[in-house]
Amino acid sequence: MSDRVSIRVADLVGGSLCISAEDGQKVFEKVLPLLKKSKPINISFDHVDMVISLFLNVAIGQLYGSFSEDEVRALVRVEGLSGDDMELLKHVVDNAKKYYSNPKGYDAAWQEEEEEDEQ
Amino acid sequence: MKLNIGTVRSDYAGFNSIARIAEQSHGAFSDSVEVDFSSCNFFEANMAAPLYVVVARLRDELNDVSLINLKSDLDTILRKNHFLTKFQKTTLIDANQTTVPFKVFRLQAGEQFFEYLESCMYGKGIPVMSAALTKRFQQSLFEIFQNAAIHSRSVSGIFTCGQFFPRKHRLDFTIADAGVGIRDNIRQYTGNTKMSSCAAIKWALTEGNTTKTGNQPGGLGLKLLKDFIRMNKGKLQIVSRFGCYEFSAIGDNCKKLDHDFPGTCVNIEINTQDTNSYYLKSEPSSNDIF
Repeated sequence: MSDRVSIRVADLVGGSLCISAEDGQKVFEKVLPLLKKSKPINISFDHVDMVISLFLNVAIGQLYGSFSEDEVRALVRVEGLSGDDMELLKHVVDNAKKYYSNPKGYDAAWQEEEEEDEQ
Repeated sequence: MKLNIGTVRSDYAGFNSIARIAEQSHGAFSDSVEVDFSSCNFFEANMAAPLYVVVARLRDELNDVSLINLKSDLDTILRKNHFLTKFQKTTLIDANQTTVPFKVFRLQAGEQFFEYLESCMYGKGIPVMSAALTKRFQQSLFEIFQNAAIHSRSVSGIFTCGQFFPRKHRLDFTIADAGVGIRDNIRQYTGNTKMSSCAAIKWALTEGNTTKTGNQPGGLGLKLLKDFIRMNKGKLQIVSRFGCYEFSAIGDNCKKLDHDFPGTCVNIEINTQDTNSYYLKSEPSSNDIF
């Protein structure tokens, strides 16, 4: 038996749709204490038909707020996602790394934006 | 009160026309409001979704709203797509099966939205699209739906409607809400109280930008949608308050509407003949991702 703890996403969200932030949070809350104990985990997307960035931001992207890139890389494995969903996850992970490196930086450039008058 | 709607297609003039009648009827309370279609020469059926933004807001103010002087072909298509059931008219069978029915969803109804897409959109007159296109299209619609659910604060829910145009090989699908608009959310979030609607739409389309609070990353949904539309050679329109943004193969632009559209509407038009795979040439493995 593998030493990795298996997190079966379809079981946690109760179905094949990974489309809400609330369900993403359920997964995150299972993963968080395991990683805090340095337990290697395997996040399985078997039996999941639909996954969107909103869910992945919360379930996985959010990990970078608590753990370093090295820790996540060493402890987390993902399986059961199709090639294009792996690409989506890659976007989410890259975006999360940027976000947590400078969470407020995204907004600063927009403080001066203004155009024609609106009500 | 009578509101003259004019011709409505999925374009700047069409959205402007809907925003105009919203502005003309703003403040109406417990009144009789007639939306007059006598000068409407064409109405693209998917535009029922943004039109219902105006209707829902009027009904929320206890106005009695009716549609008058619909020409028979328009009456037929709006019965086929079930829009006129909201005005106590019966439905008609859509023999050509080119409509995706008009539907109102509660903000939390993501799963019902999935069932609706599964039952209404595929295997009918709408052509069988490649599995990859179907999946990316569905993901895109979910991203839009959940954006509306999280950010709109629309008390009337989310309105959806679609129309297939067989000769053009195009499918338009429209998701609208009667919420606060992208601009107000971003003004509140950034503290920039003068940000225009177009600047706010551009902000929302920038990768990584999100008004979602709670120290979580986000802001990918609209960026991914744009990437998909670029590959598919389709069209994306986002109308929110005074902003009318359009993105297609020829570029993007945002024009200020003459009137205030009281919510947000996203229309995506996909090229149904697309055979792109949407897969990377080398699929990333778990090791490559983190």
